[in-house]
Amino acid sequence: MSEAGVIHDIGYQRYEGPRLGRFAMQQALYVHGLRAAFGLGRSAKAKIFPWLVFGIMLLVAVIAAAVRSVIGETILTYTQFTVQMNFLIIFFAAIVAPQLVSRDLRAGTLPLYFSRPLRAADYVIAKYAAMVSAVWLLLGVPQFIMFLGGAFTTKDGFKGVWNELGDLLPGWGFSLLCALMFAGISLLVASLTGKQAFAAGGIVAVFLVTTPIVGVLSSLPSTTANQLAFLASPPFLLIAVGQWMGGDFEIELGRFGPVYGIEAVSLIVACLLILLARYRKVASL
Amino acid sequence: MSTVAFITARGLFGRRRALLLLPLPLLLIGLAAICRAYDVSPDMWGQAVIVGLGLVVVLPVVALIVGTGVLGSEIDDGTIVHILTKPLARREIILAKYAVAASVTAVVSAVPLFVTGVLAGSVKLGAALAVAAVVGALAYSALFLLFSLVSRRPVLVGLVYILVWEGLLGNFVSGTKNLAIGQYVITIADKIAPTAILESTIGLTTAIVMSAIFTVLGTVAAINRLGSFSLAGETS
Repeated sequence: MSEAGVIHDIGYQRYEGPRLGRFAMQQALYVHGLRAAFGLGRSAKAKIFPWLVFGIMLLVAVIAAAVRSVIGETILTYTQFTVQMNFLIIFFAAIVAPQLVSRDLRAGTLPLYFSRPLRAADYVIAKYAAMVSAVWLLLGVPQFIMFLGGAFTTKDGFKGVWNELGDLLPGWGFSLLCALMFAGISLLVASLTGKQAFAAGGIVAVFLVTTPIVGVLSSLPSTTANQLAFLASPPFLLIAVGQWMGGDFEIELGRFGPVYGIEAVSLIVACLLILLARYRKVASL
Repeated sequence: MSTVAFITARGLFGRRRALLLLPLPLLLIGLAAICRAYDVSPDMWGQAVIVGLGLVVVLPVVALIVGTGVLGSEIDDGTIVHILTKPLARREIILAKYAVAASVTAVVSAVPLFVTGVLAGSVKLGAALAVAAVVGALAYSALFLLFSLVSRRPVLVGLVYILVWEGLLGNFVSGTKNLAIGQYVITIADKIAPTAILESTIGLTTAIVMSAIFTVLGTVAAINRLGSFSLAGETS
């Protein structure tokens, strides 16, 4: 029998290996978020809705490319594609944003995350980047298919492909702007509640409710109000910025083009800042 | 049964959650008030506010949030077990929850629509909109209550219904109009108080009968589903 008070060495060891640090955590969160957005690494049920939306988008792109190669006319430009798919992007945002942030709130993983060297800003940036990438992929891949359709059927040889690329790149840029805006707003809404159901409803409500305001403002008997109407709704703001940037959406902005640019930037920045402020304190939910 | 209703209502309104339902109706009334204050003719803004915002967005979205909230969130939490293990008929559980969902939706959507209708035209229009909103609330609640028993993601299914079925397809394929609650609501309001703002596309009888069918079938199917409800573990 051993003496009382002996501390036995049962073989605990300190971790001596390399520590990857904040950047690696951010990266891991980003990859995890991007995979979760499309339901990869999860059950089949989690894949239904994202891939449903993605499939419809691809289908539209394939049809657009096919029609174009048959009749030789562009029925849907790259930027128009982004605008026309508005409802589906809203729906996709309502699927993905709650997946990314509401689940963490619900499952109580945030205190675990933040007990690591991970800062709130890292978390927000990783989630935001994942969501932006997801939405951009949702738009960019179909646009690329449309590009392939256009490039393979062009009759001007290499010059035709080059022109087509010149159309695709602004289209991709526009999709990126769209992704930045939709991701910011929907993550902000989703971060307010741990219930995925409420978050999804809230996101759709924000986007849908603002749309009729544009209709009302457009019908007011003041040119200024008409030209500023598109400020009221994120999807329309996007169209207006595209118009200001030299797009062709047949809407009248007058001299207020720069206002739209400023609002778009400040909207995205504001969403990110509020998100950061929201994650300063996570315990009180 | 009243206890179930009470618990459901508390779950819906507990803490600050009731405030989440407030912005939509306020926006509706606010927009109408602004237009009214600037003396814009209701022909210009009525369509956008009453139909575009009120009947197409506020009513279905409120119904979706409330209708899936009463049962879906309990299934999600796992707290449904506590109610299911009580000696209550499944029918009573569904009916209590449906009553709460329908009445909350009806109040939250009919009151602002009534005010908007009064601002846009007459008390008659307001009353017509309120009646139509109540009918819509009954039908939508039954449908979304059923969704929360059919799928683990009722809100997304409901959004598919609102955005794709009523939103996208309703514009392109006229056949789906006979199967869209939104159209019944518009038709009923239009037939009670005919104005240029509302444009009904289907007959009044169809609208009333179909709303009743949606309501009854939705509730019966929900009771049936809950009767053979199996609790699954945490799905992904």
